[in-house]
Amino acid sequence: MKKILTVIFIASLAAVSCTKVDENVYDKYESNAFYATPAGADNALATVYGKISGTWGSNFAGRDNCWYDLNSFAADDQVIPHRNTGDWQLDFAQLYTQTYQPSLGLINNTWNWLYSSVYSANVAVAQLTSANAAPSKIAEAKVLRAWFYYLLIDDFGDVPFYTDNNTDASKIAQTKRATIYNFIVSELKANVDLLSETKGGAYYGRFNKWAGYMFMAKVYLNAGVYTGTPAWQEALDACNKVASGGFTLHAGGANTASPLGYSYFDLFGDVCPDDETIFALYLKENIVSGNIYGIRSLNSANGNALIGYNGWNGTIILNQFYSKFSANDIRRQQFLVGQQPKGGTTYNPVVSSLISPGAAPDDGIRDMKFFPAAPVDASGASNDFPIYRFADLLLMQAECNVRLGNPSAALPFINRVRARATLADLTTVTLDNVYDERGFELVFEGHRRQDMIRFGHYQDTREFVTAPIPKTRELFPIPVNALNANPNLKQNPGY
Amino acid sequence: MKKIYLYKYGLAMLFLMCAIHSFAQNTFTGKVLDETKQPLVGATVRSKEGSQSTVTDVNGVFKLVNAAAGQITVTITFVGYDVTEQVLSPGINATIQLKPSSRNLNDVVVVGYGTARKSDLTGSVSNVTSKDLNPGPITNPLQQLEGKAAGVDITQSGSEPGTAPTVRIRGITSLQGGNDPLVVVDGVQGNMDLFNQVPPSEIASVDILKDASATAIYGSRGAPGVIIVTTKKSAAGKTSVEYTENSSLDVIAKKLQFLDAAQWTQEANSLGVDVSANHGSNTDWYNLLTRNGYTQNHTLAFGGGANGFNYRASLTAINQSGTVINSKFSNYIGRITATQKALDDKLTLTMNLNSGTNYYTYSPTGVGNAAFTSNLITQAYVARPTDPVYNTNGNYYVDPNVFQYSNPYAVAQTVSNNNQINNLFGSLRADLEIYKGLSVGWFGSWRKIDSNNGYYAPAASTLTSAVSYNGQAHINNAHTDEKLMDINLGYKRDFGVNHLDAVLVYEWQQQTYNGSYSAARGFINDIATYNALQLGTLANAQTGDVSSYKNDRSLISFLGRVNYSYNNRYLLTASFRRDGSTVFGANNKWGNFPSASLAWRIDQEDFMKSQRLFSNLKFRVGYGVTGNQQGLFPQNSIPLVGQNPTSPTVYFGGALISNYAPSQNANPDLKWETKKQTNIGVDFGFFGDRLTGTVDAFTSNTDNLLYNYTVPLIGQFLTNSIIANVGSLQNRGLELTLSYDVIRGKDTRLTLAGNGTLLKNKVLSLGGNIQGFDVATDYVSLGSNAYLQVGKPVGSYRILQHLGKDANNAETYVTQNVNGVPDLSDRSADRADAGQSLPKYTYAFTPSFTYKNFDASMVWRGSGGNKIYNGVRQQFSILQYIGKSNVLQSAIPLGIESAQYNSDLWLEDGDYVRWQNLSIGYRFNLTKVKYVNALRLSVTGQNLALITKYKGLDPELVGSNLSGGDYGIYPRTRTFSVGLNVIFK
Repeated sequence: MKKILTVIFIASLAAVSCTKVDENVYDKYESNAFYATPAGADNALATVYGKISGTWGSNFAGRDNCWYDLNSFAADDQVIPHRNTGDWQLDFAQLYTQTYQPSLGLINNTWNWLYSSVYSANVAVAQLTSANAAPSKIAEAKVLRAWFYYLLIDDFGDVPFYTDNNTDASKIAQTKRATIYNFIVSELKANVDLLSETKGGAYYGRFNKWAGYMFMAKVYLNAGVYTGTPAWQEALDACNKVASGGFTLHAGGANTASPLGYSYFDLFGDVCPDDETIFALYLKENIVSGNIYGIRSLNSANGNALIGYNGWNGTIILNQFYSKFSANDIRRQQFLVGQQPKGGTTYNPVVSSLISPGAAPDDGIRDMKFFPAAPVDASGASNDFPIYRFADLLLMQAECNVRLGNPSAALPFINRVRARATLADLTTVTLDNVYDERGFELVFEGHRRQDMIRFGHYQDTREFVTAPIPKTRELFPIPVNALNANPNLKQNPGY
Repeated sequence: MKKIYLYKYGLAMLFLMCAIHSFAQNTFTGKVLDETKQPLVGATVRSKEGSQSTVTDVNGVFKLVNAAAGQITVTITFVGYDVTEQVLSPGINATIQLKPSSRNLNDVVVVGYGTARKSDLTGSVSNVTSKDLNPGPITNPLQQLEGKAAGVDITQSGSEPGTAPTVRIRGITSLQGGNDPLVVVDGVQGNMDLFNQVPPSEIASVDILKDASATAIYGSRGAPGVIIVTTKKSAAGKTSVEYTENSSLDVIAKKLQFLDAAQWTQEANSLGVDVSANHGSNTDWYNLLTRNGYTQNHTLAFGGGANGFNYRASLTAINQSGTVINSKFSNYIGRITATQKALDDKLTLTMNLNSGTNYYTYSPTGVGNAAFTSNLITQAYVARPTDPVYNTNGNYYVDPNVFQYSNPYAVAQTVSNNNQINNLFGSLRADLEIYKGLSVGWFGSWRKIDSNNGYYAPAASTLTSAVSYNGQAHINNAHTDEKLMDINLGYKRDFGVNHLDAVLVYEWQQQTYNGSYSAARGFINDIATYNALQLGTLANAQTGDVSSYKNDRSLISFLGRVNYSYNNRYLLTASFRRDGSTVFGANNKWGNFPSASLAWRIDQEDFMKSQRLFSNLKFRVGYGVTGNQQGLFPQNSIPLVGQNPTSPTVYFGGALISNYAPSQNANPDLKWETKKQTNIGVDFGFFGDRLTGTVDAFTSNTDNLLYNYTVPLIGQFLTNSIIANVGSLQNRGLELTLSYDVIRGKDTRLTLAGNGTLLKNKVLSLGGNIQGFDVATDYVSLGSNAYLQVGKPVGSYRILQHLGKDANNAETYVTQNVNGVPDLSDRSADRADAGQSLPKYTYAFTPSFTYKNFDASMVWRGSGGNKIYNGVRQQFSILQYIGKSNVLQSAIPLGIESAQYNSDLWLEDGDYVRWQNLSIGYRFNLTKVKYVNALRLSVTGQNLALITKYKGLDPELVGSNLSGGDYGIYPRTRTFSVGLNVIFK
């Protein structure tokens, strides 16, 4: 019996000493430990920029199916038609024809990308603050957060608003567009001057002071859309702050080294030049996302002949838009139309059908603004993306002056842009001139939807769309998935 | 040898002493033999008069001392033999020969941490012994169980070499991937891949624990059921050498009918496809990519022993070549198990060593382009019959005008996709009898799995990714280390008519996982394939090309079970287990899993003694709580920061740096799923067990359902989903097993047997409160238009209804929307309810026939009540694609040129009946041959017929695929095999 007791004793001893079931972590960092270090706080800021480059379905621009595609295809400067060979889903064409449903994947992707970006920015603000980081860094994180909210109210109107990740999700209300606008403005006023004045180098692809003011100018420029009360003078003031940063237009002249024949297209090459670029998005194929805009437009054989990889036969510019370009506009060189020297391809400018039965394979004018820069592969190229550049600023300055009833002051700004494109100077300038010039200069750069709404052209008929588009379409619907996940949300009118 | 002599003399002395004692008491002796007149060791001999009992010794001899003056009656019991009664007279040495049991009620069933007699079972357990296992070309032991047990659904989609079937015991009870049963092989616990280490012909029995009262002893791992495999052991004192072989020819059972070159040309012309798409060849791509396969299975087993020692060893080789070219599988397993007794036979040591290697050459998957990616063989449908295989220069043909054209024959011939898995496990069990039925035991096992995968796609493969970088290679090494240790205390004793059997266990287990992955691109030639990654071009390196990981999980358990029976009539089993696991959240580290069950053996009652109708009647009822933690992985509950997997690098501060991101929502409340199951069952036998059967009815509710619940991306939620325990799921079922001996003669026996299962599955709730936020989860898409929907079965279809065709021959749909654009959102009113992806019933019919040395058996099995979304038919029925792809012959009469959405046009009934197995064998008794004892020859056909209305390749593709979508499977084979079994002297 003694023996038995001994065995039981030993057994229970072994049992009691082995009851620890805490988790071991070997190959990851626990959140609190990671961010507690200065390097962690710094990285929290880098992570926010990582959101902007992102990747497929979750990025600002470069890859497909997120912010850039949503805001571009809903406008009139580009579209991907369904092909009568069965290629391409209808999402892009339905955005263009404004027949999409609130369940459209791109809308959901954009919403999710923006809110995960807000989350990251909140992390960065909180961690940099608690790490007592340099004020410029904290300001940078706050400006980034404001920028995501700006993109949110621009697309969706009234949206959930919070700045602290420890807020209980059930207590976060859908906040008025104007309220968030006021937050953005006050956040910018408080922080932009704290940002670094350095251009390029360590601040390439980051919010420096000039990018900050450019962002502020964009917010004021669209104040009328967001709040009903325009703020043209504030916009012009902000523009002038940017201009004081010493930017100039990059040379545009003929250049045989450029694949499209003009130095102008350096702006959309591997690295955005510091002279004109105010805020760039760094992209490097398969390292930091990638840029698909060139390869997505080319057809298979033409892509193979030009860059060694099958083109996707996707994006085109419709003839209505293309035909507005002057024949001598150097910016028209970005389009491929008619018989091509390589790949045995002829791009037909007339598109027979967008949705059913779809366009013939070679229908549509192609855009090579982002002529693939190395490294390139079948899924994209390494062109950086200019989010804001000086030409945009000049046209904003022109617009503000016209809006403020001072068109003569607007002339030099718009003519500078036209001169580079080898177009004759205008002698008078109207809002329509500015609107059209923005179209020519900024085509395929993701500005078109915002411009169309601000200039009051979003509801116009467009090629393949014969009935006017309802005003309610000026806001995208709150994605169905977000509505299902959060009963506190109300759908935008008209959906 | 010396010891045996001593033993004999000692025994003789004992007899002598007994003789002296016989003045006071009588001594009854005897010898128990088996059907071949060999001594039976360890048979229990129990006297009816004085309730003494003893067991036979190594010579089959027993002795009982009884006060009775005259004769006594003893019952002799031995596993696998009929209980025999014998009248003994004092002083006369009786010889008693036992007959192998015709009914297996006394069979021992392994119930987890112990064994029980089948007749004592109170829970629902299916027991399949080696003689009932499916014969034929078996590459995975699960194939031997197909159709053999009610409520145990074993399915396999396609016959790719080395792919394992899927097992679902009593349906889908979890959503987060945790429906695979726990596998226990000779005490070693593991997941389904443990079957890779079990030689099919070395299985002695398989016990499948189905209801919660049986599985609760496995606590937080028991909910999906438990499969316990017991391998063959050598009988003590016998030497045996046995060789088993099976060779089969595997042919493709069914092909889909696609256009040939002439038909394609005609159709392309009539649809106005540009002539440039017609390359004028006549290629049968499917035929080019397929062949007849073969499967070989060899096992040499031998064993023997003496002096309280015995061992069994075996070597197995399984080789399979697939029906798609360049796909094959080999499995080599060596095992040895040995038992040694010591300390006057009170200590039993059992060791087990098992080592095996699996080689897989998989047919590549993920082939094609962005529009249609599939496994390799399904790409054979994409290739136009008019495309040549080679260019005139001898290179593989590609059409530059087709986006990302891939040549499937080039892929098959040039891509290397090899996987090697080395398995090793060892275990040691020590059992010590301490005092009058009290025993203590220790068990430890250690299992190691090393897997090494190499992949190389050269530019010649025509795959876009490989062409881009002139060759692409990667290797993937993974290491798993699983340790288990338990200490147990057992007590087994009879007190008069009371029988008590109790066990207490402490168990500790830990699994460690680590591994690494490396990739390289750009090789100047294809000689070294994936074996020299350093030869790749450094400039082509991408983020994610190098990675490694390590994590672990531990489970600590305290458990106990009591079996009590009164007078062999009333049986009670109660168990309790307490589990603590590292993968549970900080607030829920420990869980309790109790169970209880009762059984009443009505046939043992006095009032049943006089009737002749029932030979067995037992009523069972049980309830238990089990858990499931398979869906939880290490570090699921804690907030982590890791490299952002989708964008691992960020440009910041003028440099490329690693991009970190919070990767997971914290959930300190995370825990196991809780499954509560009630089972009521009846076991019966009529007419002297000519008709036997079992009926079980059960209801199980899975609460705290683990799922990746969708949460809004605001506030504390950093991603759109959080793993949490919120919803609940219900399964109700009815199982019936019947067996009837139509002929039960001395030489002839014909048995008709079968089983059937009805299953009803329902999502009870999906929403709930997660960290203060009320999630209203519902209508969760599972893919292929199948949904999780409250009040409906898992995988209920909600799909657009096909309306017809418009003027452009585009498919039209029933929509609420005036502009004809259907709303595809999950809760859309445009989606109509259209059945479920899970079968409502499964059944099997397993007749067998023996006449003298001849035997024959069949397995027919089927299931139904489900729908399948035929994605292949959809993809290849749209005529618009003909310019760049082939289409089905059936697409022509259908005449749909374009279809933008999924509709119920492609949703088909999934009912089927399969003639799974026919086997005929003959046993030659070769007692006169010098070295051979017996020889059995058999022929087996598998998958001989399939009766179904399903238009795809094979309707058997449910398994782990809750959405019931068919996007192309590896062909299912029909096999014809010859088997040989030789027992040497």
